[in-house]
Amino acid sequence: MADALDPVIHAPARLRVVATLAALDAGDELSFPKLQKLLGMTAGNLSTHLRKLEDAGYVRVTKTHEGRTPATYLALAPQGRRAFEDYTEALTGLLRGAGS
Amino acid sequence: MTDSPDRPGGDAVELGAADSLRLIREQQDRARAALEPDGRALYGAWGVAWLAGYLVLWTSARAHGAPEAWAYWVFAGALAAAVVFTMVHTISRTSGTRGVSARTGAMYGWSWMLGFLTFSVFLGGLARAGADGELMALVSNGGACLVVGLLYLGGAAAFGDRSLFVLGAWILLVAAAATIAGLPMTYLVMALAGGGGFLVMAAVEHLRLLRGRRRADGAVGRG
Repeated sequence: MADALDPVIHAPARLRVVATLAALDAGDELSFPKLQKLLGMTAGNLSTHLRKLEDAGYVRVTKTHEGRTPATYLALAPQGRRAFEDYTEALTGLLRGAGS
Repeated sequence: MTDSPDRPGGDAVELGAADSLRLIREQQDRARAALEPDGRALYGAWGVAWLAGYLVLWTSARAHGAPEAWAYWVFAGALAAAVVFTMVHTISRTSGTRGVSARTGAMYGWSWMLGFLTFSVFLGGLARAGADGELMALVSNGGACLVVGLLYLGGAAAFGDRSLFVLGAWILLVAAAATIAGLPMTYLVMALAGGGGFLVMAAVEHLRLLRGRRRADGAVGRG
């Protein structure tokens, strides 16, 4: 079944990242530490997955400063939101196919 | 758990469709629970504060004509506790987010601050002009209720929340009824209809959450 599904999202760790960001309204962003806390991943591991998602154009990474502290904010890019919707639709379709 | 970095051949674990959907739903539930203020907790806190605070005012006013000083202190303490709880809860939930929702939420929060700041100056002005006793009690309670009701209606429009709109309309009715009732009944109306209204809202939120979860379970379970 993996052939039909988006391999960027199909990895469980990245699926959880995308699902979390998809829970935000479009136009909202989440800070790196908050995202990390929600996922329970190490910073290095999360960075690795985020880079892959950013390379695929699914996640928008914004680096900024809050006072003097550097801060990173993450959001689902429109392409990523579409990919996530396609992915969940495909899964639902598979389930329905298996159930009948 | 799923914390292993990718290997060249893809991810170590391959999930089935039902497992993947469940993973998505659990993660999104967790994200929403951690990022959005819990309506049940907020309505519950305000319901208890109004119910307890106004019942104390009513009991004291019925026995002595007007509430005694200690009753006002209990009332003020209950409201202050609800304010602090609301701020701490909302800020801790929404910290680490920014964008449209954060801006909307901040403006909404400031609307409350500005509304009640202006209202307290307004009351001070009335007191200076000679308002006291029952008149002052009616204006301060009915007026506060009016501010709360209008802010809820505005919040309902901003967040697209129908049940908040119903609550706002209800609180406006309470404002009118409490003012018409006169002392000491005003306090009882505020306690039961006002505080009770919040508690009903807390229960409605709880049911809404349960129903949403059951529906999601059903969707995955059918597969």
